[in-house]
Amino acid sequence: MNLERLKPHFPWLTLVALATVVGIANPAFFDIGGLLLLVADVVPLFVMALGMTFAIYIGGIDLSVQQIANMVTVLATVFLSQFGIGVALVCLAAGTLFGAISGYVTTRLYVPSFVSTLAMGFVALSAAKWLSGQRALSMDAQLRNESFGWMFGKTLGLPNEIIIAAVLLGITWFLQTRTPLGRALKAIGAGELAAVASGLDVDRVKIIAFAISGGLAALSGLIFSVKLSGGDANLANGFLLLAIVAVLVGGTPLTGGVGGVLNTAVGTLIVMVIRAAMVYLEVDATRQQMIFGILLIIAIAATIDRSKLRGVVK
Amino acid sequence: MYELRQVDKHFPGVQALKAVDLTVNRGEIVGLVGENGAGKSTLMKIIYGAYQPDGGGVFIDGRTVRFQNPRQAMEHGIGMVFQEQSLITNLTVMENIFLGCEYGFVRFGVIDWKAMAAAAREQLAKVRLDIDPYTVTSRLGFAQRQMVELAKVLTLEERIDGDLVILLDEPTSVLDRDEVRLLFDLVNELTVRASFIFVSHRIDEVLELSNRIYVMKDGEVVDVVDKESANIDDIQHKMVGRDIDKEYYREQKQKPYENSEALVSLKGVSLDRRFQDVSFDLHPGEVLCFVGTEGSGREAILRTVYGLETPTSGTVTVKNDRVLRFMAKSGVERGVGYVPRERKVEGFVSGMAVYENITLSQMKKYTTAGVLRVASERLLARNWIERLAIKTPDELKDCAGLSGGNQQKVILAKWRSAGSDIILLDHPTRGLDIGAKEDVYEMIREMSDAGVGIILVADTLEEAIGLSHTIIVLKDGHIQKRFDGKPGSKPSLYDLVHHMV
Amino acid sequence: MVTRDFLLKWAPVLVLLVLVLCFSLIEPRFLTVRNFARIAIAATPALMVSVGVTFIIIMGSIDLSMEGTVSVCAVIFAFAFLAMGGTVLSWGLLALPVALAVGALIGLINGLVHVKFRIPSFMASLAMGFVGTGFALLVTGGDRIRVEDDIFRSLLTVRWLNFPVMVYVAGLFLLVAWFIQNRTTLGRNFYAVGGGEELAQASGLNVSRVRILGFTLAGVFYAVGALLAVGRIGIAETVTGSNFMFISITAVVVGGTALWGGIGGVWNTLVGVLIVNVINNGMVVIGLPSYIQSAVLGILVIVAVALSTDRRSVAFVK
Repeated sequence: MNLERLKPHFPWLTLVALATVVGIANPAFFDIGGLLLLVADVVPLFVMALGMTFAIYIGGIDLSVQQIANMVTVLATVFLSQFGIGVALVCLAAGTLFGAISGYVTTRLYVPSFVSTLAMGFVALSAAKWLSGQRALSMDAQLRNESFGWMFGKTLGLPNEIIIAAVLLGITWFLQTRTPLGRALKAIGAGELAAVASGLDVDRVKIIAFAISGGLAALSGLIFSVKLSGGDANLANGFLLLAIVAVLVGGTPLTGGVGGVLNTAVGTLIVMVIRAAMVYLEVDATRQQMIFGILLIIAIAATIDRSKLRGVVK
Repeated sequence: MYELRQVDKHFPGVQALKAVDLTVNRGEIVGLVGENGAGKSTLMKIIYGAYQPDGGGVFIDGRTVRFQNPRQAMEHGIGMVFQEQSLITNLTVMENIFLGCEYGFVRFGVIDWKAMAAAAREQLAKVRLDIDPYTVTSRLGFAQRQMVELAKVLTLEERIDGDLVILLDEPTSVLDRDEVRLLFDLVNELTVRASFIFVSHRIDEVLELSNRIYVMKDGEVVDVVDKESANIDDIQHKMVGRDIDKEYYREQKQKPYENSEALVSLKGVSLDRRFQDVSFDLHPGEVLCFVGTEGSGREAILRTVYGLETPTSGTVTVKNDRVLRFMAKSGVERGVGYVPRERKVEGFVSGMAVYENITLSQMKKYTTAGVLRVASERLLARNWIERLAIKTPDELKDCAGLSGGNQQKVILAKWRSAGSDIILLDHPTRGLDIGAKEDVYEMIREMSDAGVGIILVADTLEEAIGLSHTIIVLKDGHIQKRFDGKPGSKPSLYDLVHHMV
Repeated sequence: MVTRDFLLKWAPVLVLLVLVLCFSLIEPRFLTVRNFARIAIAATPALMVSVGVTFIIIMGSIDLSMEGTVSVCAVIFAFAFLAMGGTVLSWGLLALPVALAVGALIGLINGLVHVKFRIPSFMASLAMGFVGTGFALLVTGGDRIRVEDDIFRSLLTVRWLNFPVMVYVAGLFLLVAWFIQNRTTLGRNFYAVGGGEELAQASGLNVSRVRILGFTLAGVFYAVGALLAVGRIGIAETVTGSNFMFISITAVVVGGTALWGGIGGVWNTLVGVLIVNVINNGMVVIGLPSYIQSAVLGILVIVAVALSTDRRSVAFVK
């Protein structure tokens, strides 16, 4: 059997294998109701990872997502009373703007994306602290229910959160596979110089990729904020690591060009199963970060396309 | 004494070196000349240990040696002065000279800068360079850097027993006349310390400096001439002498182009130090070929026409429209297609399917309401696969999995299907086998018949002569000569080489 | 003549002077020895961490693991210190070299993961940072460990010439770093790798070894930073390392060490750390809210990297 040919199938095989192991150890895992709850729980992370996929798909990285989500939790909480459900648009616009600025800084000012996004993340942190007055805020329960209560309902037995995630996945999948933008993203990730030599407007496409990443990070923050009914400049801390893990474990390598949003869906589910397993095995929450950190190293090492690194790895 | 006996080197699909014999005697300067692709650089790599020969042997003083890497070659006294500057510019001169062997100056873990500077001065004295070893290399001129590289190689003298053989790869390419003079005097002087192998495309220089000259062609040493009996004309003929098969380049299919309005017109265009004051017109159906040595500015002109480079002065007009913003995107929109030399890096996107590569530059045409019409993209790809006889199981195949010739066809299909009528070909046959090359020639003729204007930078001179209507010879970024190449009255290889070097 | 090189070299110092001048004009209290001592205290742990990452950046790599490494070193130091006597005048003294060794070990692992798996350093080190923070969380269970030994705390409490001992300790280590940078083969090899990795390899330099040693050395300096951080507040905890990543990277690039490698050094980093800390302190002194700091640093780092990049030499940036 050819290992290279098996590689694309690794993520879902891993998912199935993990789920089976966890299910055998704990048959309650396969309880549909419980499973749906688990999935619904992981939706904010998934949405963030979905955005991150675009940054990684073009061979970059977005380290600002967590801070953008933090900022948006505050933004949503503060402006809920003013805009009602319209606050979603405010959040989306803010996140997209931050992402676009990161993209601009990366492409036009030649600052590597890990620095530009890290820096923009700190700008977002300042904004969050300023807006929140450095306090933990909570939403007015009635307002929240009026505007966003529907998120916690069910449609045809499915929690609406999962439907939101599915819709976003559908949109991004369509974007990735069926639009010129998606094709351009793939070309840039797989061979940026060839994309330039084919006359694509590479800078523009990259800026859009970071904008999408920022926008989805904002939606992630919004969902999280509504879920917890509040906002705080540190609320989404811990998301960054898991989002990167979800993208990489799903099979979109750090070098870009392969994988995509469906992979990230699988990757997020893998993260979910591992978390569930840890809870079942009574692995303390404090140990999880270390385990995911190690998992991240393994995932990068397994997926990265070394032929693209052209000799020098810095 | 250094000796190569019957050295062979194969690469997939090519035999780069065939039974090469080469001897370098103590204190001798040996010249090595040949066209691009004649096998000079492969031979050099074998000499300095970057490649290992597949057949034959390397002998030093009659004993056989085998180098796994350049370092082992260095330990046997083989040093290389690289063509591209190989000094690290942020380090000082002395650090560069002793990079990788600083241990001689370390006491208790501390570098003794004074000792290193003193030792560096000794080395610099060998090349008669009077500079402070503490100088940061980036502050030196090209000629001085070249001397420092030579000084660096000469440290081998103290480090190893036995004789030195020093390879000089195109050492004069960045030097002006006086500097070349200095270098030659120095090399002559240094023959008391080392033997030299001097590689250059400037035959007059090789002739002047070397005691004996090896002439290479197609991976073989075709002649060895002594300085006394050598003359430039003979050597040039031996370098390029080959019977040209007119059939091979489809010369009989060459039709005259319409001398109507120019598709592309450059007037007095310059780009930094890459090329200066270049003017020419390209007409529909014309195949215009730039000929010149590496670094003569051929590729840069192509990239300027396409929009990847912005000229520093002059005007570029494409289809009566003066180009103001130089971007690949606008080049494509004007109907310019570019087939780059680095096929795998710039030509196509590996990891993307054949059909995706074909429509990459023209996605707009296959988009309705922001959605790609994948079915019509694939149909287009299937048509072109058939039309150009691209060997691929289907249009969904990853381009990286195709053979070189078929990859080239995909790239051509990309531009032709988009209706590009100005095609820029940079070494389109590089690395292709003979059958695939002929396919490319056939396609060039077809495009030319269809009224496409083609600017070509050919892989070999024969190719340039065989394929083109017009040949422009470049040297050091300047146009030297323009030849008309009607079938039957084409310039000879010798005519071209004469103006190139 | 004012060349680009000259500007790049002296711009950071100029910026620092201008900042000091501006803050002093706005608020005279800024220009007092007491305030300078305050700046120095805040700056010392960050200086050590920044010096460590300077070596990495000179090589053209990056290290984002410092938050995790500092936390682990701090926590392990505290546990070892308390377990072995709880005072410097006992076996507890051994906890100091233990902490340095732990820093070196984490750096070594970091370097090995980066070089042997061929993972770009920003990602390898980011992941290692997460592992480090996770490990610190694991061993402390989220608790704070108090280190109350008077002699150890004299790092902060004893002052010579108005400045506490820790400032002199940091100064000493800065000199050590300078020595390594200028007078050892390893230090010079960092510049060779950063200036032209392939060329250095061709000259017979073992680039992988230099890289791994570089990360190890950086780990030692992170450990020193961790010790000073614990000495400053008397507490070791998981969040001891927080914020060091961004501050140190900002300090290094603002100080004029190019992200592309080969240029700069520890004195640049000193200037960069001072710039960052003068800004932080000055903004508080003139009465600006503290939450602006991260945004200012964020913009500063973008400007510094953008200005120091020679655009002609970069094909594209990811």
